Amino acid sequence: MSSAFVLNSATPQDRPGLEVQELQFAYNGAPVLVDINLKVSEGEFVCLLGPSGCGKTTLLRLLAGLDLPATGAIRWQGSDIHGPSLERGVVFQNYSLFPWLTLAQNIEFALAKSHPQHDKRWRRNHAADYLDRVGLADSASQYPSMLSGGMQQRGAIARALALGSPVLLMDEPFGALDPVNRAKLQDVVLHVWAEPRKTVVFVTHDVEEALYLADRIVMLGSSPGRVIQEIVVPFERPRSRRLFKSREFVSLRERIEEHFREDILQRIEADPEIGACREVN
Amino acid sequence: MAASVNQSTTAISTPLSAAVQLPTTNNTRPQSPDFSWSKVLRIQGKEGILFIAGIILLWHFVSTAIHFSGKYLFPSPVLTAKTLWASLPELLLGTGYSFLILLPSLALAISTGVVWGLLVGTTPALSRMFSPFARFASPVPPTIYIPYAIALLPTFRSAAGFVVFIGIFWPVFLNTANGAEALPQHYRDNARILGLAKTEYLRRVVFPATLPHIFSGISVGLVFAFIMLTVAELFGASNGLGRFVQLYADYADYPRMVAGILYTGVVVWISMEVLERIKKRALFWLK
Repeated sequence: MSSAFVLNSATPQDRPGLEVQELQFAYNGAPVLVDINLKVSEGEFVCLLGPSGCGKTTLLRLLAGLDLPATGAIRWQGSDIHGPSLERGVVFQNYSLFPWLTLAQNIEFALAKSHPQHDKRWRRNHAADYLDRVGLADSASQYPSMLSGGMQQRGAIARALALGSPVLLMDEPFGALDPVNRAKLQDVVLHVWAEPRKTVVFVTHDVEEALYLADRIVMLGSSPGRVIQEIVVPFERPRSRRLFKSREFVSLRERIEEHFREDILQRIEADPEIGACREVN
Repeated sequence: MAASVNQSTTAISTPLSAAVQLPTTNNTRPQSPDFSWSKVLRIQGKEGILFIAGIILLWHFVSTAIHFSGKYLFPSPVLTAKTLWASLPELLLGTGYSFLILLPSLALAISTGVVWGLLVGTTPALSRMFSPFARFASPVPPTIYIPYAIALLPTFRSAAGFVVFIGIFWPVFLNTANGAEALPQHYRDNARILGLAKTEYLRRVVFPATLPHIFSGISVGLVFAFIMLTVAELFGASNGLGRFVQLYADYADYPRMVAGILYTGVVVWISMEVLERIKKRALFWLK
């Protein structure tokens, strides 16, 4: 509780959160990420935006500690990340609840690891509370296979939030959802992100989603993955979807798309083979 | 062998879902929600019953038409049914003896096969150690052990128990190990983020995730178990189902022998049905 208080009194940029320094990562000898430098302040909402194959999922797995970098450093609050931890909750694109447990049991099982000092009754109430926050209070005793994709993803978000991790890493969590469910869940995430405030790194390839959610957008280019631009999103919170039609929003979106186009052009000019491939296609 | 058995079990399990759905789609007359014979026997239409009736009819005509060495070499359906009824006490007792060998071996083979399979499937070093041996030892047809097991082990029961164990262990172990090794990445990632200890990881994540594979291993293993058991009993049992058939073959009492074969078929079929029920209940969460 006291840490949340401190957070409110300080502007996000004051505190060192997640730091990525000179990171390189290769898979089977092929470079996936090169020269990644990234800072995410505590309490900040950052979107990693980029086309498929730009290594944004890989970067998120590295931040989670599920993979380790070949060279470079990743730190949380100044100390190196050596492996996965409950400090950094992850929501994956595929609904990763355990299908043999009910929604509530999924959360209670995770809580038994994150809050071993609390008893069963506390865990049950805590799980019910978070299911309620994502609108799943009535489905607590359902098994994931009985639920729609959107509801399963809500459950996964509720589980990640209930653990109380100060960092939330989300890997295209709404990639497989229809536009309506997607919009609803975006609002769920914004709602729970604010209170208590968390540090969020959110991977997406959807420009509008990034602009709607993020404080700052980190654009990644592909082959190999690297940061091409960072953009601070100037819109006040809470944001409305009416924003999508405003001139500011449209021009910012076009600026981002222009950056990606320019990056692709530069890649083609620098490497004639890519251009040749495109002509064949 | 394993492949063909596997195929037959999947072929059986597909019509079941259709049979279970039938009452809802074809709700013309009220049916008891708890019990119906067509559900138990998995009858989906007249064709199945007509085919069996046709076979019995054919059997009847062949048995009455040919008198090559009297009706006792090829007993009619009616004679077989009467004999079966008369031999029922003896057959039930034989079933009891057979199951006294089968069930302990089954329990031991499943528990060791599952535990060892989970460990080998999740521990690369154990897999490197055990897999070459398993590749060599698992394809050996377990029937080949029977004469030596009978010679080597002190009692017939221990010998039969041993070969039944072998017959169940390999399919259960192989399916469990393969299933555990192919555990979806996101289960592994989740477990790592939660920081589960190895035993908890095996018990709460790998075991339930592998359960579908474990059950297909048990299905194959159970069929093997009955083959091993009845073949072993043909060799040297004093009681049991295989012994019943062998005994009356020796006495040239073919009506009893045919009755014993039919009865054995029913016992195996019911056992597979029971397993199927347990599987459905255990895997209720599977879509």
